[in-house]
Amino acid sequence: MGQFTWMFSIIPDAILNWVYWGIIAVGLTGVFAGWFGKFIPVYGRYVEYLKPVGIVLLVLGVWLRGGYDTELAWRAKVAEAEAKVVAAEAKSKETNTVIQTQYRDKVKTVKEVQIVVQERIVKEAAKMDAECKVDAEAISILNQAAGGKK
Amino acid sequence: MKYIIIALALCLSACATSVPVTMNFPQVPEELKASCPDLKTIPEGTTKLSEVVTVVTENYGQYQECKIKIDAWTQWYNSQKKIFESIK
Repeated sequence: MGQFTWMFSIIPDAILNWVYWGIIAVGLTGVFAGWFGKFIPVYGRYVEYLKPVGIVLLVLGVWLRGGYDTELAWRAKVAEAEAKVVAAEAKSKETNTVIQTQYRDKVKTVKEVQIVVQERIVKEAAKMDAECKVDAEAISILNQAAGGKK
Repeated sequence: MKYIIIALALCLSACATSVPVTMNFPQVPEELKASCPDLKTIPEGTTKLSEVVTVVTENYGQYQECKIKIDAWTQWYNSQKKIFESIK
């Protein structure tokens, strides 16, 4: 079925439309000719063949024409969905750039504060070390807390 | 005639077709993919308060950076979800 769809897709839409309408027209002509043809001498002999052929062509034409409309409606939906996806992907990239920039700025600020804090520690180190001696147990507790292990 | 009507009605019934359009999974900024480092520990045997304060403040800084990263992840998820839902 996919091959037929593909083959039909390479035929221009306008031509397909005309072909389908043509089949419907021929089918209708066949059906009406089947009804009225029996009143025409000589021609009436072919009515029994003409009528079923007309019905088959009419049904086929309507089916193809319906499929054509459905196909066009789906193509429009696909095009619309694709456009939305393209716009969403662009917006997604844009959002990523914004988040990335904000993240970098915030981290930069934290690092700058860290530098200031470290400078203050260096400046006050002598005073802190002179007044306080840290017990080994305190170091062990801090390290245990930092490691998050029992 | 009734058979024609039934056949035509069947022909005009809607066809179910799935739309093969999908959105690629959005990529997260590379910086956010890196996991937060472990907290630093104080060298054993040190008695200097300045060394302790240095490590503790570095850990604070590390926490701040990690918090920013988690907040960025939350912002990224909420934004991308909103964008994804907008195309439904």
